[in-house]
Amino acid sequence: MLELRINGFGGQGSVTLAHLLAQAALENGQQGQALPFFGVERRGAPVRAAVRISPTTIHAHSQCDLPDYVVVMSEKLITAAVLEGINESGSVIVNAPKAVMVQNYPTWQIDADSIAREKGLFSADGPMINIPLFGAVCRVLNIPQNIMEQTILNKWPGNGKYNLAAAVEAYNTVTQIAR
Amino acid sequence: MKAAVQVRMETGAYAAALAAKYARVDVVPGYPITPQTSIMEAVAAMVENGELHARFIPVEGEHSVLAAAVAASAAGARVFTATSANGLLYMHEVLHMASGGRLPVVMCNVNRGIFAPWTLWADHQDSFAQRDTGWIQYHCSSNQEVFNTILQAYRVAEQINIPVMVNFDGFAISHCLMPLTLPAQEDIDRFLPPFEPEWRLDPAHPSSFSNVTMAEDYAPFRQMLSEDILAAIPLVKQAAQEYREITGMWDGDTIDTYRLEDAEVVVFAINSMAAELKLSVDILRDEGIKAGLLRPRLYLPFPAEDIIQALPKNAQVMVLDRNYNFGHPGGILAAELKSVLFGRRNDITVKNRVMGIGGVDLTRRFMANEIKAMIDE
Repeated sequence: MLELRINGFGGQGSVTLAHLLAQAALENGQQGQALPFFGVERRGAPVRAAVRISPTTIHAHSQCDLPDYVVVMSEKLITAAVLEGINESGSVIVNAPKAVMVQNYPTWQIDADSIAREKGLFSADGPMINIPLFGAVCRVLNIPQNIMEQTILNKWPGNGKYNLAAAVEAYNTVTQIAR
Repeated sequence: MKAAVQVRMETGAYAAALAAKYARVDVVPGYPITPQTSIMEAVAAMVENGELHARFIPVEGEHSVLAAAVAASAAGARVFTATSANGLLYMHEVLHMASGGRLPVVMCNVNRGIFAPWTLWADHQDSFAQRDTGWIQYHCSSNQEVFNTILQAYRVAEQINIPVMVNFDGFAISHCLMPLTLPAQEDIDRFLPPFEPEWRLDPAHPSSFSNVTMAEDYAPFRQMLSEDILAAIPLVKQAAQEYREITGMWDGDTIDTYRLEDAEVVVFAINSMAAELKLSVDILRDEGIKAGLLRPRLYLPFPAEDIIQALPKNAQVMVLDRNYNFGHPGGILAAELKSVLFGRRNDITVKNRVMGIGGVDLTRRFMANEIKAMIDE
């Protein structure tokens, strides 16, 4: 069972990202689970969501306290996200404009803000970074690109063009940072 | 014979709403309360878009929800509703009306800790506080089990005219997106034929219902209710077995077990924590501790004989309660278990801890460590 935790700010689309990843797992012939933590929601407050992927039935129903992957939606959250817990052999996927290494953890970096802006994915709240992050995380987890694309098209039938472009761009540009 | 099935990603709350649709319910009174609200929203949307041919009745509070449910059931309708925590407490008086009136309402309670202070997250004080209302109570540990159990609950309720509460954890199940297997509607129609009450309120044939009774009538009514609740146990088993024959799905009947046969340490718990505990049992087994799990799926009637039969000889039973038994040390499940073991299984040792109150996160590692600490106590 692979466990992943998303750490973000309210309004960045962490719940939708968790749902997309669990859905992609199912599309990929596996079991998926998205378990967002719902607190007293406030835009801008720290939020988190658990995602699990497994070839067999998932029995876990707790938040991921020691995940194999931590997805950090904003550079500002790196310290807090890692402090919240990570498997000692875990990896970190960070949304950041430039290369960043998170302690000694294998780190992947994606500039989701720029991709979202370039592809026209933004609302009054700012760029919709969860879509490029979905593409990036799929790449890191070795979820095939066609499964990733199909998941987006199924989620927004007939209306996934911008989402698809942003996710594909991120899928192909997410970078593992050299130590 | 299994017909075509479909697998979709759904939350536990939506699984509950889908079960109501598959049960072809006639009337759904509703009032919002977190974390149940998404069930009533989903049912209301299904009624609005014509997916479900039912009457949705929005009312001003939970007392009225159950009053409307009771009235519709007495008029011969198949009724569904859902609530949580203080909403359930506000229904308390009408819960007795449903069971005493022998009305087979099925209601979801999405478990949430009780005010005060306010909390949104799961514990089991709300459903356990309704122990003496004469309702049958299931407790479920997965999204799929929620769906399956609601359909089984209608079967049982309508066979013996007793209302059934289907409980599951707020957020950990209700807002958890998981794969859900949907059987073919025609298979469910075979499992659960339309509700044909023996009796109904009908304006064309006026009659009185639930009038004042003298002791010589009241006492036999109450005795019948007490005996009939116990008679639900074979019906619960039959419903689970026939559901398996038709859909191929199985969540246990009155109990569910995991690695129990040769267990020396038996963990006893309900709801989503019991699912996570399967992983704790694996951790303990890897460390050389012969652990197993016994999960009562049915809390009321308490499946005493099945528990007595299932427990291995000389087992230490670790009861993990997500509730308090105020006035006594520990939790309510431990007290229930001890009362059925007394004089029947003197070889069993029972230990108890309360945890997870108000949604405190219960991880597999935390619970495995708690169990290890209990062994040494």
